[in-house]
Amino acid sequence: MNRQNFLGHLTLALTLIMLAAVVGQLRRWKHEPLPTRRARIEFSQKSAPRSDAIETTERKPQGAEIYVRFRPGTTPSEIEDITFTRHDRVEDEVEAVDGLTLIEDQDGQDVNSVVSEYSKLPMIEYAEPVSTVQADHGLPGGPKHKHANDAMFGQQWSLENTGQGGGLIGSDIGALRAWSKTTGSSKIVVAVLDSGVDYTHLDLMNNIWVRPADMPAYLDAELGEYNDVHGFNATDRWTDPMDDNGHGTHCAGIIGAEGNNQIGIAGINWNVEIMPLKFLSSTGSGTTKDAIEAINYVINRKRAGVNVRIISASWGSRQKSRALYDVIKKAGDEGILFFAAAGNNSDDSDKRPHYPAGYSDLPNVISVAAVDRNGQLATFSNYGAKSVQIAAPGVDIWSTWLKGEYYSASGTSMATPEAAGVAALVLSTDSNMSVKELRERLFKSVDKLPSLKGKVSTGGRINAARAVGAM
Amino acid sequence: MAANNDDIVKRARADLAKRLGVSETEISQESVEDASFPDTALGASTKGEMSGQMITSGVRIRLQAGKKGGYEYRASGDQLRLYKFKGSNYRI
Repeated sequence: MNRQNFLGHLTLALTLIMLAAVVGQLRRWKHEPLPTRRARIEFSQKSAPRSDAIETTERKPQGAEIYVRFRPGTTPSEIEDITFTRHDRVEDEVEAVDGLTLIEDQDGQDVNSVVSEYSKLPMIEYAEPVSTVQADHGLPGGPKHKHANDAMFGQQWSLENTGQGGGLIGSDIGALRAWSKTTGSSKIVVAVLDSGVDYTHLDLMNNIWVRPADMPAYLDAELGEYNDVHGFNATDRWTDPMDDNGHGTHCAGIIGAEGNNQIGIAGINWNVEIMPLKFLSSTGSGTTKDAIEAINYVINRKRAGVNVRIISASWGSRQKSRALYDVIKKAGDEGILFFAAAGNNSDDSDKRPHYPAGYSDLPNVISVAAVDRNGQLATFSNYGAKSVQIAAPGVDIWSTWLKGEYYSASGTSMATPEAAGVAALVLSTDSNMSVKELRERLFKSVDKLPSLKGKVSTGGRINAARAVGAM
Repeated sequence: MAANNDDIVKRARADLAKRLGVSETEISQESVEDASFPDTALGASTKGEMSGQMITSGVRIRLQAGKKGGYEYRASGDQLRLYKFKGSNYRI
């Protein structure tokens, strides 16, 4: 091609690009936005397929994609207007979470600019980029990872910290690497001793323990027979352990919300069996007596053949109980590890113990402190160089809630099931591990953090990848 | 359904008046402010009570009862507690 021809082609190409830009702008002025998913569905229902309609339906996102959560009360038409005036489009609505919308930019802005633009709007609760695959994923010789496709996975910084919300990239439990080795097992049963569990939640229902048909119902010498289809309710010893508070459902989701099912969140275990136990009331309070009754139930079921290996206990008080101590000890004798919340009083537990986490002389008790998305001890978290063993993420943790919803919560309540979930993941690789072996595995595999030195006995945050032997 | 702040303050004043043996008119509202409490018992657990270790949002109500001094109530949803009244916490 000679120089004159080249300049001619270049001029022609530039002219066509400018023409396309003008036509595109004219479309917007004429209020002809590119069809949204909802619009596309309506179109396909009303009209016979046309070649251009099919082409539009199969269109893949070209621009930056972000998740935006609109505040309650923002109507779909307002959302459409907001995106339209910014030359963006609604790509998807996450039906399970009110107001959560996937938006695609269509005028070439970079993703950070789009996030910034939306974050400033008063009707926006938050805006964040759609997480992208790390550069080393799948590279020959690089570390192996396994992603979850759950709709809210991008917000689960404890599993994959991409720096969302101002966090430190990589400051997480290493779930993606762990999942390259195991995503859990339905043969492992984790008892969630709490306010019960909403076992009908779509993200939990497939991972809820159900008493095997050939196993007799729970029989207590004093209480009589209890039909423990889904676990046990110690508050009235009559109704089933359905959650009426939300706290227990949140803890259960952290351990074992069904993973890679495209909805909601991913649990640390994509597959596991959650045994709901209720001893906290609808206001989140309970008695030592009911806690003991529920642990007694777990021991009974273990002896009956249920492979319950972990109790997650996100509760406590300053009051010591010898009876509670004894029943937790007995659970340890039966091969059950007991994770307990260190407490949220910003106290040194070596000096002001919090129980049952404070029964740390028991070899099956692990007291769990909370860290934030920057690897710092949470400001509220109790600590103790001797009496608190390990830390886990416990700030702004998204999980399942009542009525099929999701909720972000903070506390050592959230850190405890993070640690318990990792223990279940380890057991899925070797279900015969003893309590002692499992405890040592978890302690030896922590990420040592400067912020935890002298604060917890291991000096570190739990690491799932190392614990399951994936790194 | 969660009670609104006015209802909660009304309940708190009535409770305090009864405990102190004074008229409700002798109790004044010092402040009502949003607060985060360390657990589901609003950091005011009663004897023998276990509570979820989740940070719980609610309101802190400070009441003044003349020369008898100031008193603190904590509330979240329908839950109302009296904090450290003569050294003990109470669920209302």
